[in-house]
Amino acid sequence: MESSDLDYASPELATIAEFLQQSLPFNELSDPLLRRAVGKTVIHYHCRGDRFSKDSAEMGLRIVRSGAVEIRDDKNKLLDRLGEGESFHIGGLNAENGNVQAIVIEDALLYLLPDQHYYKLREENRQFDRYFSGQRSRRLRRAARYEPIPNSMMREVSSLMSTDLLTVAPALDVRAVAAAMTKRRVSSAFVVEGEELVGIVTDRDLRVRFVAQGLPPDTAVQDIMSRNPEHIEGSHTLFATTLLMTQRGYHHFPVMCDGKLSGVVTTSDLILAKQDDPVYLVQHISRQGDVQGLVEVVSGMPMLLVQWVKSGIRAQQVSQILTAISDAITVRLIQLAEQKLGPAPVPYCWTGFGSQARGEQLLGADQDNGLIISDEMRSEHRPWFSAMASFVCDGLNACGYVYCPGDIMATTEQWCQSLGEWQDTVRRWTVSPTPDAVMRVSIFFDLRAIHGDASLCKRLQEVMLEQASANTIFLAALAANALDTKPPLGIFRRFVVDRNGEHRDSLDLKKRGVLPVTEIVRLHALAHKITAVNTDERLQALAKTGHMSITDSRNLADALHFIQRQRIEYQTEQISRGEAVSNFLNPRSLSKMAKEQLRDAFTIIDESQSAVKQAFRQGMG
Amino acid sequence: MLSLALRRLWYARKVAGSALQQAWESGISPAGTDWREVSFLVCDAEMSALDTSEGELLSLGWVVVERGAIALASARHYLLKARHSVGQSATIHQLRDCELREGISEDELLELFLAAATGKILVFHNASLDTAFLNQLTYRAFAAPLLMPTVDTLLLEEKVLRRSDTVIKPGDLRLQACRDRYNLPIYRAHNALLDALATAELLLAQAGHRSAKERFPLRNFF
Repeated sequence: MESSDLDYASPELATIAEFLQQSLPFNELSDPLLRRAVGKTVIHYHCRGDRFSKDSAEMGLRIVRSGAVEIRDDKNKLLDRLGEGESFHIGGLNAENGNVQAIVIEDALLYLLPDQHYYKLREENRQFDRYFSGQRSRRLRRAARYEPIPNSMMREVSSLMSTDLLTVAPALDVRAVAAAMTKRRVSSAFVVEGEELVGIVTDRDLRVRFVAQGLPPDTAVQDIMSRNPEHIEGSHTLFATTLLMTQRGYHHFPVMCDGKLSGVVTTSDLILAKQDDPVYLVQHISRQGDVQGLVEVVSGMPMLLVQWVKSGIRAQQVSQILTAISDAITVRLIQLAEQKLGPAPVPYCWTGFGSQARGEQLLGADQDNGLIISDEMRSEHRPWFSAMASFVCDGLNACGYVYCPGDIMATTEQWCQSLGEWQDTVRRWTVSPTPDAVMRVSIFFDLRAIHGDASLCKRLQEVMLEQASANTIFLAALAANALDTKPPLGIFRRFVVDRNGEHRDSLDLKKRGVLPVTEIVRLHALAHKITAVNTDERLQALAKTGHMSITDSRNLADALHFIQRQRIEYQTEQISRGEAVSNFLNPRSLSKMAKEQLRDAFTIIDESQSAVKQAFRQGMG
Repeated sequence: MLSLALRRLWYARKVAGSALQQAWESGISPAGTDWREVSFLVCDAEMSALDTSEGELLSLGWVVVERGAIALASARHYLLKARHSVGQSATIHQLRDCELREGISEDELLELFLAAATGKILVFHNASLDTAFLNQLTYRAFAAPLLMPTVDTLLLEEKVLRRSDTVIKPGDLRLQACRDRYNLPIYRAHNALLDALATAELLLAQAGHRSAKERFPLRNFF
């Protein structure tokens, strides 16, 4: 006879219960409920390429035990990508997203909690239920990972067009028009009557219809212009535009947005569109012969950022690219300094701190750098290093990386020292940490070798981790610093915004969102001697070494990615509108969905701060 | 398959009226049946030594594979009341004497096991070791060997590797080494049930990979 199924899993399956407990929202379940869930679980194995939908598979909640699964909607658009510990419900997703398909992209072992038991659990545990009705973490995760296929030729032409238009009146004489075109360095002028575009005149028109015809200089521009030129809509793709220009043989195309002339696109813009590849840009930087050349290359960066964001490059990638560019500029400046000053007298390492070290720069970052010089340095060598530091820091400032307001720069005595001096400084900081000192130096614990002898940087970091990880008083001071800024959420999860001043009704995404995450993660990394500096890498290392649960690590990463993406998108809008970039965002300008996601992100930060308090500030108030 | 039926015939009179006979009577699925239409009982045993003359069975765990999936509701784990002290081997299988005193008797285990095995194909990783101990049990009870159709995931894996001209190094066929090749997770704990589950997942992976495009009939398992 077959004995009836047990209602609870046998204790030998504790391994499975432990795994489930690491996955949201199973961590909310009491022990008996968790054991019952294990007892009801059915395990399936799926090979790469397997697909299933609500019609082809048993219904229930699926938890990925190993492997990876993609969720796509009926138009094959990627909705989500799930890895170990993440769950999905094919039927539950259908309600929001039409007919959804799951595609196995890496051989996967899936735990299935069949519908009847899944819904029973939801009935019995409120938190468990709320996770699925609120879908907090999942929603955030989907937002952070959403990744449209980058294809630069599918971008809208309005993202590329030049908005620096030269408009002239029809009666203006050709000589004046040519002079204006030369002065503005443009190859076309638009002839307008009031608001209306009546013609276009290009370099070529001047040559063919004016010079070659031997017309007098006072000829009116309306006599040689191309009348009623064809235009394209700003929403056209680059692909369609390129096609049209080739077919018509035009080199200039006026671009209309909302019925108004708003820009021009030329064949060379389209060729250049292919060169906005970051790799091309970094190469270009390394070939510049002087500071002026570098300044010109980076002056186009804001527009490039807009293009990258529009072509769907993800937040982390954008900051990686921007950091790679500032690295390239720094390295080039150091090389130029060495050309000017002769080779360095002793080995050194140019070191980046803060966001540059973490690979998390965005536009408008200031410079944070220092020099670690070999202990062989003698006093007569110092002038070489201060001259080099001045050259590089001045150059960075000229390129838009403004001088550090906190004086964290290789030009200052404190940030330009021999390795031995550096190591002493670190010991001093960690032995007597005053809150003010901690705030000033916490950025220093994110460091990365940019140029020169990287082993110097590595040896300094070793001492730093050695000192920090063993010193609970110092860690508690760092924790106090990490807890200093609360996420801007009030009761009922309302956003707390500045009440007055320049940034009225807005909140600082960098200060309130990004910095708390980096500080929390840095604190955990220092406490556990993790050498990684990039926040994502630190989170991965913390989860891998078991110092942070997979869930917490993922949630923090998702919160950070989401806030960074909001910052980048907001900056892109500012650039497109011709405003200066800032980190102050008015939450009212967000869509309902984005608002909810931002709240989720701040909630996660708030929870992590509580965890920090528990771990590092116990008994310290 | 044929030889199994013949051997059962040889012992038929000895087992008449026993639980073993009932298990045999459920018949053997035709070799052409797709694996998803067959039920498997995936088992793992722990013993105090690797040789039946020196060791004894300590625990037995199993799960059922049905319609190509593992239902954890079918998971069972039984400890046997030990005849002798476990002694040093406790460090290997983590079962201590005190736990084993609370176990069930061989007869009770055999009854539960045969009931679960009826109508199913047995699966082990490295079957010869486990079946030697199970045969010992049935010999003592019925004077006959177990004689159930048996699949060995180790031999199955060896066949796959040989077919792909892989040089098989020592340790390549260990349970976790096999699981690694199919992207299956690592279980840090070990007991008869968890190892049976690990074997069942391996079976799913092995059959899944070879039946992605077509049927995978039973005969391919042997």
